[in-house]
Amino acid sequence: MSLLEVDAINTYYGEAHALFDVSMRVEPHEVVALLGRNGAGKTTTFKTMMGVMAPKSGAIRFAGTPIQGLPPYKIARLGLQLVPEERRIIGGLTVEENLVLAGLSVPKPWPPQRVYEMFPRLGERSRSRGRDLSGGEQQMLAIARALVREPQLILLDEPFEGLAPLIVQDLLRICRKLAQEGQTIVIVEQNVQAALSLAKRCYILNNGHMVYEGTPAELRADPDFMHRHLGI
Amino acid sequence: MSTAPAITRPRRRTPWPELGMVAFLVAFPYAIPYLGGTIDTANRILDWGLFGLGFDLLFGFTGLLSFGQAAFFGAGGFVASYLLTAPVTDNVLLALLAGTVAAAIFGAIVGYLSLRRAGIYFAMLTLAFGEMFYFLDISPLARWTGGENGLAGVPTPHLGLGFHLNTPLGVYAFIAVLFFFGFWFALRLIHSPFGAVLRAIRDNGERTAAVGHAVAKYKLAVFVIAAAYGGLAGGLLGLLQGFMPPDAFYLETSGQLVVQTVIGGAGTLIGPMVGAAVWLDLYTVLQNIAGVGALWQMILGVIFVVLVTVFRRGLCGGAVLLWRRATAVPPPPEAAAESAMRSEPAVSAPEPRAPIVRPPLTGPVVLATRNLTKRYGGLTAVDDVSFELREGEVRAVIGPNGAGKSTFFNMLANVIPPSAGTIEFKGDDITGLGATRVCQLGIAKSFQINQIFVSLTVRENLRIPAIARTYGSFHPSMLKTVGDDAAVNARIAEAAAAVQLTDRLDTPAAALAYGEKRRLEIGLALATQPQVLLLDEPTAGMSPAERADTVRLLKRIGAGMTIVIVEHDMDVVFGLADCITVLFNGRKIAEGTPEAIQANPEVRVAYLGSQAAHEPA
Amino acid sequence: MFNGLTLGALLVIVAMGLTIIFGALGVVNFAHGALYAVGAYAGFVAYEYTGSFVAAMAAGAAFLMLVGIVIERGLIRLYYQRPKEDQILVTFGVGIVLVEGLRAIFGGLNRNLPAPSWAGGIVNLRVTLYPTYRIDVLAIVGLSLVLLYFILYRTRLGLIVRAGIEDQLMVNILGINVTRTFMTVFGLGAMAAGFAGVINAPIVTVSPDMGADVLVQSFVVIVIGGVGSFWGAVVGGLIAGEILSLAAMIEPAYSQVALFAVMALVLILRPQGLFGVQGRQ
Repeated sequence: MSLLEVDAINTYYGEAHALFDVSMRVEPHEVVALLGRNGAGKTTTFKTMMGVMAPKSGAIRFAGTPIQGLPPYKIARLGLQLVPEERRIIGGLTVEENLVLAGLSVPKPWPPQRVYEMFPRLGERSRSRGRDLSGGEQQMLAIARALVREPQLILLDEPFEGLAPLIVQDLLRICRKLAQEGQTIVIVEQNVQAALSLAKRCYILNNGHMVYEGTPAELRADPDFMHRHLGI
Repeated sequence: MSTAPAITRPRRRTPWPELGMVAFLVAFPYAIPYLGGTIDTANRILDWGLFGLGFDLLFGFTGLLSFGQAAFFGAGGFVASYLLTAPVTDNVLLALLAGTVAAAIFGAIVGYLSLRRAGIYFAMLTLAFGEMFYFLDISPLARWTGGENGLAGVPTPHLGLGFHLNTPLGVYAFIAVLFFFGFWFALRLIHSPFGAVLRAIRDNGERTAAVGHAVAKYKLAVFVIAAAYGGLAGGLLGLLQGFMPPDAFYLETSGQLVVQTVIGGAGTLIGPMVGAAVWLDLYTVLQNIAGVGALWQMILGVIFVVLVTVFRRGLCGGAVLLWRRATAVPPPPEAAAESAMRSEPAVSAPEPRAPIVRPPLTGPVVLATRNLTKRYGGLTAVDDVSFELREGEVRAVIGPNGAGKSTFFNMLANVIPPSAGTIEFKGDDITGLGATRVCQLGIAKSFQINQIFVSLTVRENLRIPAIARTYGSFHPSMLKTVGDDAAVNARIAEAAAAVQLTDRLDTPAAALAYGEKRRLEIGLALATQPQVLLLDEPTAGMSPAERADTVRLLKRIGAGMTIVIVEHDMDVVFGLADCITVLFNGRKIAEGTPEAIQANPEVRVAYLGSQAAHEPA
Repeated sequence: MFNGLTLGALLVIVAMGLTIIFGALGVVNFAHGALYAVGAYAGFVAYEYTGSFVAAMAAGAAFLMLVGIVIERGLIRLYYQRPKEDQILVTFGVGIVLVEGLRAIFGGLNRNLPAPSWAGGIVNLRVTLYPTYRIDVLAIVGLSLVLLYFILYRTRLGLIVRAGIEDQLMVNILGINVTRTFMTVFGLGAMAAGFAGVINAPIVTVSPDMGADVLVQSFVVIVIGGVGSFWGAVVGGLIAGEILSLAAMIEPAYSQVALFAVMALVLILRPQGLFGVQGRQ
């Protein structure tokens, strides 16, 4: 049984049809990349998984439990956690308060100290308000916030967007470490090379349709296909 | 397709409402004793009805919820009563006119201040200003207004024709005539170009502004009109009571108006009058039931809450809805075919793109940006982008996520102001003029998420930009019937033909299929007869078949029009664009023909990331 | 001038309740004045039964918390997706029902809730003689604000409320059932209004319509101070109180009008209020 099974979901924004019979699966302990141009439906897929949107048809199963149509907080409590595209740090709360908030609905959350071991920068800034953090620090906090909950599966939505290359390298290292420690991750990224360097398998979405499933190596072997669906 | 579009005429307006009102007004004083009331009750109902006509224009039709109308009711009433009791004049009509004008002036001031904020603030502010008028009346101005005692001795109306209207029926006739004129004017107003814009503002204020209307001016104008109605009704209250009470200024008075309008049905013109009848009726009926008498207002409050929760349209509104359902036109079978198209199979292997022969672009530069920049705090969303668009060109703006496309696009549409740089339209600097002004100049935008007027028909939708194009950003024409306007109708027909909605003109927009709604979305922009059309992801949310249809539609429209299109779908881009501008991290990194862009290595890196930087550890 | 502080302090509490409800739920509570009146009557009833002012305060606060929760669960939660105008209309209607309900139960005559014996009498402030109770009101309000601050900034609930005001969806994604907190927030806001009603009762007379002025004044405070802002409510309330009392000293007829004039000025010069965020239309 896969950890996450998405079974032919159709999601709409009002009447706009955004996802057309999209299916994918995620096995425990693997990193899966979800690729595609923007507008393809990657974030929509994540939103549907997390319950922010409900599909009009199709099913999603997490560890065997059907979760489509459930509100986000119930899905979060089952062990799925989204790190959203805009990070969505609570600006008025301090770093530490953001971490405490994330742990409130979990029986044994990470104490802030453990977070600061992994992210020393956050330790230095633990009293700063969320809105005073730099982009890279906010992204670290967003990822840390998810880790506090010890989720079985993390959905990372464009974690490297708008960040300087050095910071991207930092975050990549952290993601690699998490993957090595067995954390299951699905990553949406427009930075294709970064995503492929992390992932064991990848999917490609184009205009709301799932058009590819395979390994990074297989994908790299067909550059024309890559450019067709990911480039121009 | 070059045949002239068939001009389908809207149904002519029949005079049934006016005739019905006359008949009602004639019968009312004779019928009311059978319903348990007196002629005085009838007078009060009409007075509230008149007050409510203005309020319904403001709230029911334009969507502005004011809790301070008592200010104008009282102001008009006290000005008129003062003039008659001081006495300054004994001409009743003159006194009423003075009261109405005074109320309108106050309306202009209060409206100007309150409309500076929208929505909830507006409601709070009007409530506060209404109270301010009450306090002004009670204390500082008590010398003229009688303070808490009000003004007594208001004479019965006489028109200088040698007779007093001092019988109950005479007073009723006086009020009824004025009410009828108020009703007639309001009716003409809602069928006029001015009224059409008001309805559009209620439905979607942002879109109304984007198609070229000065929304703030329209709102202020209808606020003043509502104040004038209130002032006239206030003056009549003094007349029919022989006494002008300070409770005309009470918050309860404003509240009663709101409750009556909602119960009777907002947006129906006669709703407030029906609500007043219900209010007065409940009052008399419940008073006579033992044990319940004192509770009548609480019961009314409960009825109000229940109505707002489950039956928001009120009594008349519900009746109108049932009537519309009974006389509705069933949708044509094409709608079913449209929905069937939407379950197309997944995109198959795309055919190789045929090379397109493009004529060289030699027209004058129509739209240009120079060093356009937008910063949000420390983040630079758009960085020093310059571009030039020639007449007749179709330009696509593309780029990966976070490239700054939407920000750039919104600056072109003058929705957000740039931090630096300028935008020029046909050589003139249009930076910071705002979307309304820019639309009037000739640049129109269509939205990524449909911003159509869902409560209107297709015809009524297209009418809104057509009015703005024909008459400019503020056109207070309140007496003409907009359905008879030949120039506007011609523009509607043209736009409908261009997006192939001619046979759906009288369908409510909410009943259209999704693809048709997208076409209407583009039609709204087209109806402003723009020289430059800005399209924001026109194929968003469409199935592959709908995309192909949209590309064909845009090709047809595009002949001769200058277009800027933001898109993610590369097939659409390659099918349409003469030239492509690529943005990445806010900067323009490439610009050229589609073939050139495809071969450009920097563009490849932008989309796919550099191969070298991310080898796995 | 002290009068202004007392009045201002009460307005601060009322406005705080209004701003919490608006900040977290996005609803403008047109029933706020009615809740103030209900609080005063609840305190009155408690006092009649127990003779204790402290019991009156506790009863007023607790009862209003309950009323707020019932209103939110029963009615307001149906309105979160509906247009703002409908929310205004329904809270306005609830206000009518509450006020008329009070009138039906207690009659229209004014009631009296005397100041507590431990706070009665006059205090000599050297500058002027001043009723002790009014000073005590300042103390009570001050304590309440400290308590409110403590709740908001030092408790789990406060953390959730503050986060929820800013980004409801994200709090949901982090596994917290936000709608359950809504009812607490509305209850807190109602409690603030009711509490103010009880402690103000000894100063004014208790009547069903006592909340109308307060409703209007709290709106003015919000406009001046800025909506959704804790400090906006505090500063706005104090300023409003001072304006009212200073203007009353200069020219009593104009005291209320002066407040509205200041509001109009703020609207023209700084539409978002003193502490408000620009563009939050």
